[in-house]
Amino acid sequence: MLRISNVAFAYGDHPILHDVSFAVPRGRIVGLLGPNGSGKTTLLRIIAGTLPPDRGHVEIDGVPVTSLSRRAIARRIAVVPQETHSTFDFTVEDIVLMGRYPHLGAFELEGPDDRAIARDVLQATGTLALAPRRFATLSGGEKQRVVIAGALAQASDALLLDEPTASLDLGAQLDIAALLTRLHRDRGTTMVVCTHDLNFAASLCSELVLIRQGRILAQGATADVLTPANVSALYDVQADVVFHPGAKHLTVVPIARA
Amino acid sequence: MTISAFGALLAAVCLLAPLVGSTHISLARAFSRSVPFADNVDAQIFFIARLPRVIGAALVGAGLAAAGVVFQALLRNPLAAPETLGVSIGASVGAVVAITLLPAFSIGGISAVPVASFTGSLGALAIVYGLSAARRRGMSSTVLLLGGVVLTSFLGAILTLIQYLSDFTQTFRTVRWLMGSLDVGSYPPIVAALVPLAIAGVGYAMLPRALDLMSLGPDAAAARGVDVVRAERVALVSASLSTGAAVSLAGPIGFIGIVVPHLVRLMVGADHRLVLPASALFGAAFLIGCDLIARTAFAPLELPVGIVTAMIGGPFFLWLLFRRTR
Amino acid sequence: MIRRTVVLALTLATITALSAAEPPKRIVSLIPAVTEMIFAMGDGARLVGVSSYDRYPPQVASIARVGGLLDPNVERLLSLRPDLVIVYNTQQELTQRLERAAIPFYLYEHRGLPDITQTVRAVGARIGSAEAANRVAAKMESDLDAIRQSVAGRPRPKTLLVFGRDAGSLRNIDASGGYGFLHDMLDIAGGEDMFADITKQSVQTTTEMILARRPDVIIELRYGDSAQSLDVKRELSAWDALPSVPAVRNHRVYILVGDEFVVPGPRVVDATRKLAQALHPR
Repeated sequence: MLRISNVAFAYGDHPILHDVSFAVPRGRIVGLLGPNGSGKTTLLRIIAGTLPPDRGHVEIDGVPVTSLSRRAIARRIAVVPQETHSTFDFTVEDIVLMGRYPHLGAFELEGPDDRAIARDVLQATGTLALAPRRFATLSGGEKQRVVIAGALAQASDALLLDEPTASLDLGAQLDIAALLTRLHRDRGTTMVVCTHDLNFAASLCSELVLIRQGRILAQGATADVLTPANVSALYDVQADVVFHPGAKHLTVVPIARA
Repeated sequence: MTISAFGALLAAVCLLAPLVGSTHISLARAFSRSVPFADNVDAQIFFIARLPRVIGAALVGAGLAAAGVVFQALLRNPLAAPETLGVSIGASVGAVVAITLLPAFSIGGISAVPVASFTGSLGALAIVYGLSAARRRGMSSTVLLLGGVVLTSFLGAILTLIQYLSDFTQTFRTVRWLMGSLDVGSYPPIVAALVPLAIAGVGYAMLPRALDLMSLGPDAAAARGVDVVRAERVALVSASLSTGAAVSLAGPIGFIGIVVPHLVRLMVGADHRLVLPASALFGAAFLIGCDLIARTAFAPLELPVGIVTAMIGGPFFLWLLFRRTR
Repeated sequence: MIRRTVVLALTLATITALSAAEPPKRIVSLIPAVTEMIFAMGDGARLVGVSSYDRYPPQVASIARVGGLLDPNVERLLSLRPDLVIVYNTQQELTQRLERAAIPFYLYEHRGLPDITQTVRAVGARIGSAEAANRVAAKMESDLDAIRQSVAGRPRPKTLLVFGRDAGSLRNIDASGGYGFLHDMLDIAGGEDMFADITKQSVQTTTEMILARRPDVIIELRYGDSAQSLDVKRELSAWDALPSVPAVRNHRVYILVGDEFVVPGPRVVDATRKLAQALHPR
């Protein structure tokens, strides 16, 4: 569904991405894995079309992203950023309804259909009870779930998530992982998840793309890619990769610096 | 409160304000057709002294309040104001240059000072716009803020320099102008101010939902389909035109741009589709009210209206800050 | 009143004591009014420094400039090696520096019209020209008296005396209130101040005030360098915006140009005379 071809990007003199190519098949959850500074967030912004690449291109269902209007892109791809900071006192419902923007005309107001969708996604993310609350007063985990609901309200085919669990505590991390898994199962949403948390990626993603210093180290099915050799190459850390029967997915246990 | 409630408030204030003043006038006589206008003192007080003043206050109040809303969203900073990016002080520099250096002229009933003042605001806008357009990926709010603060200081120094170099009487006249005055006294300056305000209004009409989204961050807005670069430019130009028109009409009047948006948000919530028009309406009513107090509280003397807006706005703003930090 | 007399007596006493010494030969005057007073006494040759705002008499063009009220140039001042510096009584920093440099100074205070002749006499005593000063002061007093007599018994028109506004429009008008030397001049010239009830030197005037108070005469004072290039007709036409005002209706709006209106020195007599002529044309 998403095809990234030979993308290269530099901030001024600093090259970030060199010749990155991979595909995101429809209905799959793909993890972009790599240490901080490897270019994951930049890559995500390029895929979402908010940053134009210096070279290469991104296609959504065969259509180049650069040929689409911002609204058209937003109807196909929704982004969940790492953190959402609201300058003004928006309520949870306000935030979610903003997700309907790409579907509305220039001066159109949200109608009952839009409100129904908002209710639906709040329900799906377990945040319906928070609807009248001020966004700024929520906990980190609650905020992330609301932002995911907002992204779902965009009714897009694909969801891009940038470090969705980075600032969350353990319980909230598990909640998000469970939520994304459930959403994928119920709606078949294609997802691209940027993360440096190996265990989270292993629990959620069926495919992984490993990125180090702006280059793809390895890509493929999680079971094939997540190996001690690759972990060492990616993080300079000697680790054990073991299938955990209780968690029902691969887990990575760091042992020592490589 | 709904938009129509704000509209009703403004209509009521507009109807009431010209009737009240330090002098008692007879409305019947003011509208009487039997007395020729040239002799009709009540009519002249109503139509020359008070009505342009009320209309001027409405335009300035609406212009500054709306600009405040837009700047706060554009800079993602609830403390931003029309003065933040230097457009207001650019207008002041233009006025001071006219008072000190330019020979007196007038075009169609508008004297040199408002014209030069508006030109000054356009100059400041050009600098800020150039600064922001230099980045191909849209404005960083930090860069804008920093640039605005520096430009404000720089222009402030230029202002002081011009005052210092001018002779004593010119300095006194510039100080007088900088106090702000809503005593417009005629209609041509109001009509002239309507042109940039109308252009700003067109921009404002396109912005509200985009402002909501932009206040979450430029990436978040772009991801939801907002053309961020275009929206930022429309916001910057509209709010600057609005500010420039207001300051060149009445001189710099503080606090409206900062206080009214927050007051209105307390009443209608954060949705800019409500906050922007409501702020314009409330700003207009607020300034008409402040001007009413300014010209009647110490009759026969008149206070500069900027004092009244500051005396009401200042304590309120402090209270707001305390409330937020608790 | 008593306090003023005591201060004056002390000042004169000090001055007499000081003048028992050599009269000063190198005088710097930061006050245009005092410069004019000194010239009127015939001692202009003793001035080695004047303020940047001095324009009269023409001889000041060749005298060194040392700044003014807000920006006295102390270095330039000291380089002139003065033996008396006449300063505003509010210029504390400057007087402190003069004290440190052991240069005598005289404190000038800006007050109303009646105090101008007192100041002439005090300055004259201080610089050792008491007789000449007395003659100047006495002539000023008798001239002002003559003006007062010439308009006595005539009806006093209600007058708006404007000393500042935006060029080309009726915005930001500043007028004389019921206090201060402009008001005093108007009073001697036989005019009734429109703002006599407001005891301030200056009143920020709005169109409503003018329309409500209906002055019979409007006099605008223009001065300073910018007044030289004045389009009087265009500026007068600005008042046509208020047709119900008696002064406008009866074409009794005047613009008087000249620094004598704002310099409280010997030329105050000329200024008052011009005001009287505008108020009571023969």
